[in-house]
Amino acid sequence: MSNQTDVQNKGRQQPMLKVSNLTHTVSLETDTLTILQGVSLEINRGESVAIVGRSGSGKTTLLGLLAGLDTPTEGTVELDGAVISTLSEDERAKLRAQRVGFVFQSFQLLPALTALENVMLPLELGGVESPARRARELLERVGLGERLNHTPRQLSGGEQQRVAIARAFASDPAVLFADEPTGNLDNRTGQSVSDLLMALNREQGTTLVMVTHDEHLAARCARQFNIEAGVLTEPEIRNAVEPMS
Amino acid sequence: MAASDKLMSIRRDWRERDVRVVLAALMIAVATVATIALFASQLQRTLVTSASSFLAADRQLEAENGRPVPEAWLSEARSRQLETGQMVEFSTMVSGADSFQLVALKAVSNEYPLRGQIEYQRDEDQPRELVSQGPAPGEVWINPRLLRLLDIEVGDTLEVGNLELTVSGLLVREPDGGFRLSALAPRVMMHVDDVPATGVIQEGSRVEYIYLFAGEEAALESYHQWLQPQLEPSHEWEGVRDGETFSRSLQRAESFLLLGGSLAVMLAAVAVAVASRQYALSQRDTVALLKTLGVRSRGIGTLYLKRLGLWGVAGAVGGLVIALPLYWLLSKLLSDVLERSVDYQLDPAALVPALLTALVALFAFAYPPIRRLRNVPAMRVLRSQPGESGREAVPDLVIAVLAVFGLVWMYAGEVSLVLALLGGLGLLLGTLALLGWIMVLSLRRIRGGGNAWRLALVGLYRHRRASLSQMAVFAMTLMLAATLILVRTSLLADWQAQLPDDTPNHFLINIAPDTVEEIDDFWQQRGQPLDTLYPMVRGRFTELNGGPVREAVTKDEGVGALNRELNLTWMESLPDDNEIVEGEWFAPGDTAGVSVEAELAGKLGLRLGDQLTFTIGSEKVTEPITSIRTVQWDSMKPNFYMAFPPGGGLEEMPATWITSFFLPGDNKSALNEFSRRYPTVSVLEIDHIIQRIQNIVKQVTQAIEAILALILAAALVVMAAVVSATLRDRQREGALLRTLGGRQSLLVRSTMLEFALLGLFAGILGVAAAEAAVWALQFRMFEGQFQWHWTVVLPIPVFSAVVLALFGRWQLRPVLSVSPMLLLRRLE
Repeated sequence: MSNQTDVQNKGRQQPMLKVSNLTHTVSLETDTLTILQGVSLEINRGESVAIVGRSGSGKTTLLGLLAGLDTPTEGTVELDGAVISTLSEDERAKLRAQRVGFVFQSFQLLPALTALENVMLPLELGGVESPARRARELLERVGLGERLNHTPRQLSGGEQQRVAIARAFASDPAVLFADEPTGNLDNRTGQSVSDLLMALNREQGTTLVMVTHDEHLAARCARQFNIEAGVLTEPEIRNAVEPMS
Repeated sequence: MAASDKLMSIRRDWRERDVRVVLAALMIAVATVATIALFASQLQRTLVTSASSFLAADRQLEAENGRPVPEAWLSEARSRQLETGQMVEFSTMVSGADSFQLVALKAVSNEYPLRGQIEYQRDEDQPRELVSQGPAPGEVWINPRLLRLLDIEVGDTLEVGNLELTVSGLLVREPDGGFRLSALAPRVMMHVDDVPATGVIQEGSRVEYIYLFAGEEAALESYHQWLQPQLEPSHEWEGVRDGETFSRSLQRAESFLLLGGSLAVMLAAVAVAVASRQYALSQRDTVALLKTLGVRSRGIGTLYLKRLGLWGVAGAVGGLVIALPLYWLLSKLLSDVLERSVDYQLDPAALVPALLTALVALFAFAYPPIRRLRNVPAMRVLRSQPGESGREAVPDLVIAVLAVFGLVWMYAGEVSLVLALLGGLGLLLGTLALLGWIMVLSLRRIRGGGNAWRLALVGLYRHRRASLSQMAVFAMTLMLAATLILVRTSLLADWQAQLPDDTPNHFLINIAPDTVEEIDDFWQQRGQPLDTLYPMVRGRFTELNGGPVREAVTKDEGVGALNRELNLTWMESLPDDNEIVEGEWFAPGDTAGVSVEAELAGKLGLRLGDQLTFTIGSEKVTEPITSIRTVQWDSMKPNFYMAFPPGGGLEEMPATWITSFFLPGDNKSALNEFSRRYPTVSVLEIDHIIQRIQNIVKQVTQAIEAILALILAAALVVMAAVVSATLRDRQREGALLRTLGGRQSLLVRSTMLEFALLGLFAGILGVAAAEAAVWALQFRMFEGQFQWHWTVVLPIPVFSAVVLALFGRWQLRPVLSVSPMLLLRRLE
């Protein structure tokens, strides 16, 4: 607990994510479509944040912008002190490799690689030494120590998402983005996967930004935002304590 | 409105990658077939004309019985729209100022030559001219050495029999004088109308009447059909194709063109099939939506059928647009090497197979998967339906195989050839894919290397179906290219390998026995040593095993050889390029026996031990066959049907000597000196013939190379189609790598490396397969030793690796520039 407090103290000095006046539009042939409008938020180090919204509300676009997968039309995104919109595509890639982890709804494992190799991939991209050892440790941590050499096809959906979670934490990211992490799983499996995600998040002291429409999962995060028609709102201030703990 | 709709739709279609692939493949198929058809008919015309000039016509009818053929035969030919001409050949004595000389006289009609041109000089110091008509009545053209033999000059009178003719020119070269060595005596050419007045031809004179025919190939054939039953054994119908020296090379080149073309079309068809299947898959959502909007299956069918029709028209037009300049270029090259203008004939009939190809490619390859779109359930809009299981593709495959069979049959016109081609290709592709798989697997075991390397290997493995089919197709293309490069030596082969730069290009004939050594010295001193000198005795083969040969030989085809005087020789050792196939060559000291050329032995049904009797003048020589040997007729050296051992019966007979030698073009003046000193020796210049043949073969090779380029293009289109099939997966993977922090340069490097590896493997396999093919060819045909051709082996895999790396870079632009947002958008 004290560890977390330290991080939060430090975070008060410099937020992990700082978004100011973010607007994103898409030009169509005849007019422009506004997807995000004047979004501002700050997320501190170690915080867990859920962004809840209906499909088409702009939550996926927001996640992409926060993670530096795309650049906004207006406004700035500051990730761990780096202003994303001023970085080139390759600089953003480098930032992702060093500071960012991802968990996707559809797992996104490379089918030709084994579980171990999938987890090793970001480590190799980040130039980490002996990536296999670290990957093995992580897979053991997510309970797949026996299945290192299985390919995704030989794993169940829940197991695949565990591999994906191990991969997300492999590069020791400062911030983890999760996009509907339980969306493709049944309730029970979803529950155990989200338990794992939360637990690892806590252990590693990672900042977690999650997009979901699952109210239960959202409720496990310290802060929740609603997004509707491109406008972000934070309904109530809650303390940064996870209810389940 | 409707028209603009269509325009819109083809424009919209063009934006679809798969449609572009289908159109490109269609264009290549149409272009290939059209180019080959146009060029082949052009080549045929040109070659027949140029080869025909060896006959001075398209066909010749020779009457060796000393009697003219019935006039009705000629009027029949004219009624069939054939041009005709006439020649009479006989030997006679002519006289000049006050000396006599035996000459080979040739009297020609106004029409001579129907093909080719006569080369003549007004006088010795005048330039050579090409003319299309022989001397006018009352005039005569003579071989330059007659000037010295008879001590006359141009403008003087020459007496032929009772007639006095004015020497109005010197005959340098006659178009049909090419390979015939019978012209031992110097040539005199006069007009045929003057012949009766000479009084030389009497009943029983040895005289040959030769009739020339030229015209459409079909008319010539049908005339021959008509004539055939009326011909007597002493009549000989001669065509360009029979026994022409380069017809073999030409035929081989034609089959190369044909097979190469078939291959390009097949590859294009595969590309059409793969791409249209992809297209159909991508259209399923649209179709489902249209159905929910109330469009019925029939309407869907019509919609896509119209679209297919549009593609067909676009592909055919595009293909022809490519083919015409290509054809023009090839024809231009042809006219360049032939040094004469070539008529461009846009034979509309030649375009039919091309358009038929487009039609078949569309309906046999593109239509089946697109047709099934009408079965897409409307429910797909709400719930994703399972995709095609692949079982539906089985009838497609059957249709496709039948269509390929039909197409190739149409081009090749021979079922066994088609079966061999398709079977061979199937086996080849299977083997190549298997070997490729082994290479990929063994490479996968190698760990380490950079990220790009690892990702490239993963890519190869991950898309293995695509990788292997691409590898096999490309390996096959490269094999073809490598084989062509390797075999070109043996294609030009028979020509350029056997006709190296110092191939004998002059014959010396009619060398008197007592001047043999002197003449040998003469050329030795001028640095142009003569090849082996052979004695030559002209004789007829008259008896077989004691009976008249005409009764013993029943085969029709043998008759021609019996009518002709054969060149007989004696020689001590077997010429290098001859080969004994039966029996044994004369042992030293043997004086009995005769060695017979294998083809003639076959035609006449001669066996080892048969007693052959030759009539030479009034003498007879009888010897048993002791060996049968093959002869390289196209070696440009003296060749003989019958060879006797030295010291045998033949040596008693009056002989002249013959040899050939190489004389470079800049040393022609030595020839003048030689002719002055040895006027009785006939010099036969064949350098222009060799040159022409080499040019034609070179040109055909260029045509084959052009087809090879089309095959390569077709192979790349197949690869593009296959890349399409993996594009979606690759895009997703690319996005994932980018999301995980992989730089774009990593993606570019790994993609290029993956394709470079593909190209390298394909190159190695292709070259190995080509070496194997060439080895088999050499082993079977020449019993040569196997040689690696390093110069070919090394560059090809490198070349293919580079080409494919660039190709992958180009084709996978959508992957390389993919936004990582794709993953969040969940486009699957």
